[in-house]
Amino acid sequence: MAGEVSRTPDENLESLIKEADTLKARLEDERLKLNDVTLSHVAERLEMISLLNIKPRRYLRGHQAKVLCSDWCADKRHIVSSSQDGKMIIWDAFTTNKEHAVTMPTTWVMACAYAPSGNLVACGGLDNKVTVYSLAVAENVTTQKKTVGTHTSYMSCCTFPNSDQQILTGSGDSTCALWDVESGQMLQNFHGHNGDVMALDLAPSEIGNTFVSGSCDKMVLIWDMRTGHCVQSFEGHQSDINSVKFHPSGDAVATGSDDSTCRLFDLRADKEVAVYTKESIIFGVNSVDFSVSGRLLFAGYNDYTVNVWDTLKCTRVSLLLGHENRVSCLQVSPDGTALSTGSWDCTLRVWA
Amino acid sequence: MDMMISNLQQQRQVTEQLRREAAIKRITVSQAVHDIMKFISDHEQEDCLVVGFSSEKANPFREKSSCILL
Repeated sequence: MAGEVSRTPDENLESLIKEADTLKARLEDERLKLNDVTLSHVAERLEMISLLNIKPRRYLRGHQAKVLCSDWCADKRHIVSSSQDGKMIIWDAFTTNKEHAVTMPTTWVMACAYAPSGNLVACGGLDNKVTVYSLAVAENVTTQKKTVGTHTSYMSCCTFPNSDQQILTGSGDSTCALWDVESGQMLQNFHGHNGDVMALDLAPSEIGNTFVSGSCDKMVLIWDMRTGHCVQSFEGHQSDINSVKFHPSGDAVATGSDDSTCRLFDLRADKEVAVYTKESIIFGVNSVDFSVSGRLLFAGYNDYTVNVWDTLKCTRVSLLLGHENRVSCLQVSPDGTALSTGSWDCTLRVWA
Repeated sequence: MDMMISNLQQQRQVTEQLRREAAIKRITVSQAVHDIMKFISDHEQEDCLVVGFSSEKANPFREKSSCILL
């Protein structure tokens, strides 16, 4: 990266600082100039969402400790989940059967992800590693493992970008990294955060090379996967960002934070366009996801609830109650027919 | 001296980043909001969590039938 920095002879610390200040002011100015309406105002004329009929349909019991992460398989039927006790479980969410249970050599398995083919899962956490397990061989999943990458601090999140060949990870070491599954080589790393990276999400396009990350530095960064450059940044949150998710349109990202708000940032307006908050909501948000159209934003909170937000009118339209501890993770199924939630109460639930 | 070089290096990165961000083409919030609303209204009818299922049978996670084969 340093190679492409053009070195002008008169470039010194002072001139750089001065230029940075000018650029900051210009950015601020420009964003303000384009801020001609508010989302909730434009959405006033829309019809209200009629009463949602989302109910708990399945209970997945089997973890002995806090559920920390879960991910749907592309087949819309299986779910992988990971837990504080070091277990990773593959569920058949239709029947609620456990198809595999893998014991990791670490506690706090903070991240897990299904590969697009459904034949691999990746997980990791306090071991600082991302390990891939093959599910293709039915017998003993534990023997079919491979360590792909290692961070210098815990691994907080991971995902397969569009193929089984690569894994993108985020870490407490403030970086994200892209790894080659086969060779275990780091293909790209992403420096820019000044705090633990807690979440990442890929732009919803099959040829997408963009992803978003959220961090304890309160920043949301948009990255170009090929160059390793941060292409955009958003501030606004007042505390750690625990979750980031692309809007299905690909033009915006939603975030959930310890500051008890969710927010929507538009990439093309380069600006925060909505805050989802209520006076009565004072607990942190751990996880967010959109319904397939992007009209609903589901958010899991530390007060054991899932709030459902109308993303346009910026109002809460429903509240999903049932978990008996923090809701740590949630995800809408690939076809948008169901919502999975995981909790510190050791269970996962499927709502539809 | 090392400290100064690393400061310069760091500041150069910060400024570089701002240069990149300043070069972004932006649209108005009204345009952005219009496009988001258009996307949602185009896809809302397929969104089962918003509009529900055409029939209970269409819900893959409906409660299992209470009919038991003996």
